[in-house]
This record gives sequence, structure tokens and C-alpha cells, in this order.
Amino acid sequence: MRNITFRIKRYDGTKHWVQSYSFRHEEGKTFLWALTKIREEQDPTLNFTSACRHAICGSCAVRVNGHGHLVCKTSLDELLEVYGSDVLDLEPLDNFEIVRDLVIDWRPKTERIQEVKPWLIPTEEGSAETGFLQAAKDYHKIASPTDCIQCGICSSECEQLAENKNFLDPFILNRAYRFAVDSRDAAPEAHIRPALENDLWKCLHCHGCVTQCPKGIRLDREIAYLRQESMKMGELDNLGARHAYAFHDDVQAKGRLNEMTLPIKTEGLVTTAMKRIPFALRMVARGKINPLHMPQAINGIESVRRLYVKTKGGRK
Amino acid sequence: MLKYDVVIVGAGGAGMNAALSASKESGLKVAVLSKIYPTRSHTGAAQGGINAALGFRDPTDSIEKHFRDTVKGSDFLADQDAVEFFTSGMPDIIRELDYMGVPFSRDEQGRVAQRPFGGASSPRCCYSADKTGHVILHALFEQCLKNGVRFFDDWCLLSLVVEGNQLQGLVAMDMRSGEIHPIMAKSIVIATGGFGRIYWSRTTNAFNMTGDGTAAAFEAGIPLKDPEFVQFHPTGLAGTGILMSEACRGEGGYLLNNQGERFMANYAPSKMELGPRDVVSRSIEMEIKAGRGFGEGMTAHVLMDLRHLGKEKIMERLPQVRELALDFEGIDIIHQPVGIRASCHYMMGGIHVQDFRTCATPVQGIHAAGECSAVSIHGANRLGGNSVADVVFFGKYAGLGARETAKQRSLGNESQVQAEANRWMQKFAQMRQKTGGNNLFEIRNRMAEAMWYNVGIFRTERNMVHALDVINELLEEYKDTSIGDTSVKYNTAFIHYVEVGNLLKLAKAVCMGAIARKESRGSHAREDYTERNDAEFLKHTLIHKEGDNYRLDYSPVKITKYAPEERAY
Repeated sequence: MRNITFRIKRYDGTKHWVQSYSFRHEEGKTFLWALTKIREEQDPTLNFTSACRHAICGSCAVRVNGHGHLVCKTSLDELLEVYGSDVLDLEPLDNFEIVRDLVIDWRPKTERIQEVKPWLIPTEEGSAETGFLQAAKDYHKIASPTDCIQCGICSSECEQLAENKNFLDPFILNRAYRFAVDSRDAAPEAHIRPALENDLWKCLHCHGCVTQCPKGIRLDREIAYLRQESMKMGELDNLGARHAYAFHDDVQAKGRLNEMTLPIKTEGLVTTAMKRIPFALRMVARGKINPLHMPQAINGIESVRRLYVKTKGGRK
Repeated sequence: MLKYDVVIVGAGGAGMNAALSASKESGLKVAVLSKIYPTRSHTGAAQGGINAALGFRDPTDSIEKHFRDTVKGSDFLADQDAVEFFTSGMPDIIRELDYMGVPFSRDEQGRVAQRPFGGASSPRCCYSADKTGHVILHALFEQCLKNGVRFFDDWCLLSLVVEGNQLQGLVAMDMRSGEIHPIMAKSIVIATGGFGRIYWSRTTNAFNMTGDGTAAAFEAGIPLKDPEFVQFHPTGLAGTGILMSEACRGEGGYLLNNQGERFMANYAPSKMELGPRDVVSRSIEMEIKAGRGFGEGMTAHVLMDLRHLGKEKIMERLPQVRELALDFEGIDIIHQPVGIRASCHYMMGGIHVQDFRTCATPVQGIHAAGECSAVSIHGANRLGGNSVADVVFFGKYAGLGARETAKQRSLGNESQVQAEANRWMQKFAQMRQKTGGNNLFEIRNRMAEAMWYNVGIFRTERNMVHALDVINELLEEYKDTSIGDTSVKYNTAFIHYVEVGNLLKLAKAVCMGAIARKESRGSHAREDYTERNDAEFLKHTLIHKEGDNYRLDYSPVKITKYAPEERAY
């Protein structure tokens, strides 16, 4: 007889504790089956939320061994195999306030999502009486981002959000993107600018959100798009844009990055001098960098530059 | 005390559209209570589409044809004036949704795309791949945010206070704090969805589809209309009952028995798989009974084959359906047929709506819209694609109706509403302390079993009377049960206790309506009365709850254009 143990992080509004529940293994079951079994057979005080049980309502996301999953569609056997253990740790999603046990509070997120004006700002081409015409290719641009079920897994995985409460949750950036690319929307800037003003450039590219998104939404590409659009809006005088251009210009000039000048180009000379020099000196002392090394152009730099011309690169 | 002009209970498609239309340019104070976060509502589970006779895919389609199909689909039990009102208004609703930003799939000319659906004489089902309800729900939520609609998430309706046929107020629990609040309102819209969970494990419904609003209205003296009409969706996944959209058949999927035959040829030779849901569900059960299915008992099923549609079409039109079959049955529909069987899906019956233009009920101040209500446009069987249409359309008119009602009424009797809240506070305190008694989950599971085996797709007097006996027994046992959780905050055990109580009340009404209806009509298929009997039963069932006593009554069906005729597909 094989027993599975869930160590569930619990909370009653004042204190936190971890409680273990064991149950007999059955093949082909989901985490939702297991949690329901525990609640109905062992402990009616265990709280979790769940509704549709087929991955469309977004109610039931929790962390299993640190990562967010929709319990309704996640196979127990699959994660038992992934982790090679019959003991698993379950916790509420990270980067949320906890209400009780695995239940999280969505109210603060509802406040924040409104910053990106998450609604269509219609163009004059449509009206409530006539609707719109929209080309199928334009529909395809919004097909994937509108798959979002607002389950919160991306927020839980987000490394930037863990450190920086100003950053917008990935699902909120998805909502900004969804309207920014909608051919029926008259004001993409109105959705993009709030994202920019809330540290859009600080996404760490860790891909945690993309990896765990139950709908496979490419949040990384969406964030890249929002950044590009913000630059097209003329928002070039910020750390992120300057950093991007430092890469762009170095590679165009030499075919490689100059790490010595990168911070200066990004943050400016004064900030670099104040913030980075002590750190740089320590790195020099340990032989991590050589301040006298000036990278030469790589062999075949002409081909690199031709690529720039071909892709219409170069500063605007 | 909380005081609003209009309170909407439920934040699915009907509730949110009601909130939008009630608050638009009215200056009224509007609030929406929802047991869950709005975008978790079950409208989001609707996959296949929303019917409107726009005539894009088929220029010969018309409002008249949508009207006729809906009446025929209802087995002539729908009120035809209401159906005409509904089908006439649906094209405008699609344009409004488009303007709200709903991402509809598009045809070559950039118009909203349409697909064939069961029981429809033209392809008029507008869609967004196979996530139509989901995107409509989210668009309505976005519009509510834009318009500053006040939401109370995680608030559960406990009861409605009615005196002298007048709404006084309502009582609800803020689940997060555990506080029970009396709420004053000049008018309310109930939009709490269906109660398919009376069949607990064999339903496509979400866990929370427990008919809280319907039960509260029933308790407050509003009759339940036509509760015996329960729709079983033909294509639930064999193992879990999870919905595989009707769009599977709409896009051309085949249903096969264990001989490899498209058995619908024997039941609906002209429409084949695109017969209406009641007909297709019965056909599947007949095949299984005749030994032409796969597996046995609860695992018996037939196959749905989509392979001939090809990968490209499946990925474009049915991507979520493919994911579901992969996740829950381990089957890739591009390469293999998938096992399906009928699963409880929808309640045609519900809160008795008296005026289809305003969705007003017999109680002054109370309106109802969506699956919780019976207008009735679905009669004895709802057509696929008419439910999301129903919630958005009647949500709008219920909101407008409640807005006008609120302008004409004043707030009710505070002390009476407070007294009802106090009664619930005592009950909550008592249930948190109580131990022992009958097991609540067992009560729920026995109800579901009694309903599935005895008041399911095929019905007989004997079985249904047995089910009624069981439900009556369970109602007694329910009086002595316990929840096992002493917590004030977020006590889902208490909420579940309330939900099971609601389900039992409604299940009893389903049994009563079904036993009394000695005919077969739409989804109500009796083996002891196999024919439709218009002479005696072309009428709506109305069940009244007076204390513990249930009283059965009937009301006439409104027939304006289409005299009942034989219903063949």
C-alpha cells in the first residue's frame, strides 16, 4: 500500500503552521481529487478554492513544492514522478495576501489591474450599434492573451514582484498587451504607459511565469512588445531603454558587448561612479574584470552590421 | 446597515450585465454580491458560442428561424412572446459585446464568425474558438471595472426577506470576515446560475452551482417554474463528466458506437449529430442500453470522433477542448476518438419570471435572470448557444427592469431584515459549535445518487417516487448534521452546509414536478408515458414552497405563432 503525504501550509487569520495529511495513493488522480478527499474524509477545516474543475475559472491555483499549479488539471502521478517523492509541500500562491489556508485575497490585485485601463478604448470605426469589423489576422493577435484565466500563478512565480511591489503582475501586463494589440483599441498608449511607469523594464526574464502558465501564454514576448512600443512612443530616456540601446550600439559597433561601458551608458557617469565603482574595484581586485580591456571588433563584423541594416535596426 | 438602490446577486454574465445596465446613467447606488471572484463564475465555462441570427455565415438565416428553432427545441413549452423578444434582440447584443471588446473569431470579411449548432436550421452560433463564455465573462468584468461597479466578492446570499409580496431586503455572509449582514435594497436581481449539483458527481457544473438564489427565492415565496426539465449534455468526458463543447459536433464531429456506426442515423436521420441535446443524450443512453457502448456501469460510454476534421481545424476552432481531453482522459483528439457520455448540464427551470421585458418575478422588487430563472425561453429543452445568449440578453433587461423598479420603490423594513440576519447569526454560531449528527457529505452524495439513477435521462413513476422518498429522508437527516469547523473566518464548511440545504430543497421540487408530469416532453423522457401529451401538459409547472409544504400548480404557455407539431430532426 502506497501512501502519499501532503504537508500543507495553513493559516487561520492569526497563526501559520504546517499540517501533514496522508492518504492512500490511487492512480490517475488530480491534486483536486486529493484535496477534496482530505477535506471530506479527514479535515473539514481545510480551506481551498475551486470551482469549474476544468482549468477555465482560475480558482484553484496553489504552490506545490514552490511552484504554482491549477490543482484541478494537475496530475498527482506526474508531480510525484517529477519530484521523486511521495511527500509534497502545498502552500498558497506567493505574492498574495492569504485569507485562510490556501485561499488568497484578490482584492488588491483588482485595484492594481485598473492601472492599465483593462478595457477596450474603442476606435471611432465601431459603435455599440454596429460593432466592429476585425480582420482574422487581427483576431489572432488577441486570441492567446485572452486565454488568461487570472489564476495568479504568474504572480506567484514572479521574481521581480517578490522584491518590488511597484512592478505589475504578469497577468496585468498581459491585460495591457491584450488591448494594446487589439485593432479595435484607439489608445494603446493608455495601456502601455502605466506598465512603463511601474517598472516594466525591471522584468528579470526568469521565465517563471511563462513556464508555469496553464494557458501557455508567452508573457515574455508580450513584455518585450510593450517595451518596444514604449520606445516607439519616444520613451527612451530611462534605464531600460538606455540599457537596451547600449547592447544594440555595442553589438553594432564591435559585434560584442562592452561590459565596462554598459553601466555608464545605462545609468550615466555620475550614478555609475557613485554606485558601481566600489563594486567594480572589488571585482578588479579578484580578477573578475580587466578595466583596461577594450573589446575589439569581432571577425565578420561587416556581416553583423548588414544584419542591422536588413532588420532596419539603428536608432530612430 | 448597508443600503443600496439595486443589489445584484451573482457576478456571472447575467449579473454583470444587469449591473452595467442598472448603473448606466441612473445615478443609482448599485452593488454586486458574488460567492466567488467575478471571473470565476460559471458563464466562463461556456465553450461553443452564442446564438444570434446575424446571417453572416448563411444569408438565409433570420430572426424568424432562430425563433422557430428555439420553440421547436423547447418542445413547444417556451413562451413564444418571450422567445420572439429574445431572438429579435440578439443581433444587437452581439454588436454591443463586440464594442465591449469581446474577441470574437472572424470570417473572411472581418465579421463575427458563426458555426452550426445542435437544433439550429442555420449556422448562427457566434464564437471565440471554444472559449466563448470565458471571453464574454472577462469583457463584462472589464466593463464593470471601467464603470466603477461595486463588487462584494466572497459574499454568499443566505436569504431574501419578503413581507406582503414586497421585497424588504436580503441577508448575506461576508465569507472573509464571517460577518452576516442585513442589506437593504429597493430592488434586486438574482443571477446565481443553475443547480446542476443536485447530481453532484455526474455534472458539467462547477462545484458552486448550488442554486443559492433560486432556493432563496423559492423560500421567499416565489414559485419554481418547470424544475423537472434538466438538460443532460451529450458530450461529457466519460471519466469525469467534464464538458466537451457542442462545437465538437458543430464543427462536424461524429458519434460512434462499438460497431463503429454513426448511430445518430437511427434517431435523427436528417440532423444526425446536430440533433438537439435531449435527443442526442437519449440516443447515447439507448446505444449503451442496447449493448453497443464501451465499458459498463458508471464508466459506460460511446465515442466522439474528430480525427477527420484535421489538426489545423482542431487547433484553430477547438484548442481548449483538445487540452481537456489530453489533461483529463489522456487522449489527443487529433489522433484518437474520445469516450463521452451524457452529463447533467443545465436547468431549464428556475425562478418564475412573470414579465419577460423586465424579468420581474411575482414579488415586488425581485427580478431574476440567467440560468437561475425560467422566463421561459427554453421550455422543455434549451438549444446549445442559447444560454450565454440568455444571460447576456436577459441580464441586460433585468438590470434595466430593476433600475425602474428601484426608482419606484423605497427601502423596506429595517428591523425585519435585521431580525432575519440575527436568525442567521444564531444559526452560524450554533453550527460552529455543533458536533456529531449525520455526515453532510453523505447526505449530499446520497441525494446525487438518488437523482442520477432515478430522475435522470429516462424516468419512471416508480423510480422518481423512490427518489422523492430519499430526498424527504435526507431533508430530515439534514436537520441533524454538523460542519466540523469552528472558525468564524472563511468557513467554507458552513457555506457548504448552506449549499447542500439549498440543493435538497430544489431536488425535491425537481422530483415533484417530474412525477406529476405524466408525459414525455423535451428533456423529460418517461418510460411509462412515452408520448407528449399537449391536451393535459402543454403548461408550465409551478411549485410553491409554503413552510415545509410544497404545492404544485400550473400556468399556461404563451403560444403566439407556432402551434405544437411533431418534433422530428
